[in-house]
Amino acid sequence: MVSGSETGSEFRCDMDKETKINYYITFEDYTQGLQLQEFLRGEKIFSRIAPAPRSIQKELGCGMSLLIREEDIDAARACIEKNHAEYHSIVPLPCQINPKRNRFC
Amino acid sequence: MIYFDNAATTRVKPKQVIDAVVQAMNTMGNSGRGVHDASLDASRLIFDTRCKLAEFFGAENPKQIAFTCNSTESLNIALKGTLGPGDHVISTELEHNSVLRPLYELQAQGTEVTFVKSSRTGTLNYDDFEKNIRPHTKAIVCTHGSNLTGNLVDIQRVGDIARNHGLLFIVDASQTAGVFPIDVQKMHIDILCFTGHKSMLGPQGTGGIYVKDGLTVRPLKSGGSGVQTYLKHHPLEMPTALEAGTLNGHGIAGLRAAVDYLNETGIDEIRRKEQALMRQFYEGVKDIHNIRIYGDFTTGDRCPIVALNLGDYDSSQVSDELFVTYGICTRPGAHCAPLMHYALGTEKQGAVRFSFSHFNTEAEVDAAIAAMRELTEEEEE
Repeated sequence: MVSGSETGSEFRCDMDKETKINYYITFEDYTQGLQLQEFLRGEKIFSRIAPAPRSIQKELGCGMSLLIREEDIDAARACIEKNHAEYHSIVPLPCQINPKRNRFC
Repeated sequence: MIYFDNAATTRVKPKQVIDAVVQAMNTMGNSGRGVHDASLDASRLIFDTRCKLAEFFGAENPKQIAFTCNSTESLNIALKGTLGPGDHVISTELEHNSVLRPLYELQAQGTEVTFVKSSRTGTLNYDDFEKNIRPHTKAIVCTHGSNLTGNLVDIQRVGDIARNHGLLFIVDASQTAGVFPIDVQKMHIDILCFTGHKSMLGPQGTGGIYVKDGLTVRPLKSGGSGVQTYLKHHPLEMPTALEAGTLNGHGIAGLRAAVDYLNETGIDEIRRKEQALMRQFYEGVKDIHNIRIYGDFTTGDRCPIVALNLGDYDSSQVSDELFVTYGICTRPGAHCAPLMHYALGTEKQGAVRFSFSHFNTEAEVDAAIAAMRELTEEEEE
């Protein structure tokens, strides 16, 4: 339904490989998240904006996250360090919604 | 895209609102900053909007309406401008952070705060307002409608309690202004805080505050006013007292057109349509396996909101799936209403909030019901 490079069709390909863990980068606010996504785009590291899952937010409470692929985590960390980007954490979370469907993220 | 996040902001605005903003941006000078046509046209438009809003909310005089950026600014003015150390204020667990956070700041400075508790369905026991009144209680502040459950608060009843005890009554009408009837005099409301961009159908960055004639509210801001330039303090007269700096004239032009639209269409008709869509959705999902719905649906007179969870799934993952796969926009998480989530027991899971506009259609609601069924059915595979 959603179109464009941000929507994570790459992630859907991942799901074909039966990946069932999502990796979320979380932030204190939207500005941090949008800025990091620009940096990631600049280095052609795929990401997709998603609501930050409540169960991993703890004190953060709301807001956006960036979904990234497992194999991109190290590159994302390097990108963050290179650009002095701000973020809260990188958190794995099982894909809760019907992992058999291979449609989620 | 199907937009069911109207409690956050109404995405579809009447065409006349958009046209009015464009027209203003092509013509408007700075109101109250000169006596040439461009400035006077702006002044007249803004005065006319005050008049329309005063009539809309039953205010005694248009000068009692001041413009702000949103409800949050209005509530900050209302709370920080009337309460101080040694005062006691009563609020509720239904409140949004736009009430809670200013109250917590005041609490840290010596104001006592009591929250009337919510039931597990998000309703209040009105006797608790009176039970919590103390000798130094100065005000009651409460929402007119929960932004999470959609439950309404009977502000006439709370207003009667406030009047009977000589308390200020401050109302957060963020979710209700524009679609539910509000009469500040009849309801004994001393300060009404409203936003322009939700059910008022105006532009973002517009809002206002009604202050009862004779009540003095300390302003949050001071500065340019266009009048009384050689005074060292900001003018004390309403509405100038609460309006420092250039107003959002372009937005206010849109808000004026929005009020016209509401009056022409009729808020009763708008409310009837929105509540019908809400009820259609509620009836369509309430019996789906593993769905939990929050709020009191024993009455149809409620904000057009349905908040729910699907099993133990994280509300954010459900909302994300609704958008990515079905193109349905909802709001997951905590909705800036932490006490309400604690009261509902949803602080860890959050909730998925569907909120409806009269611009939505029955077909869109059917699509959302079908999406929820599909998610649940697949979960059961």
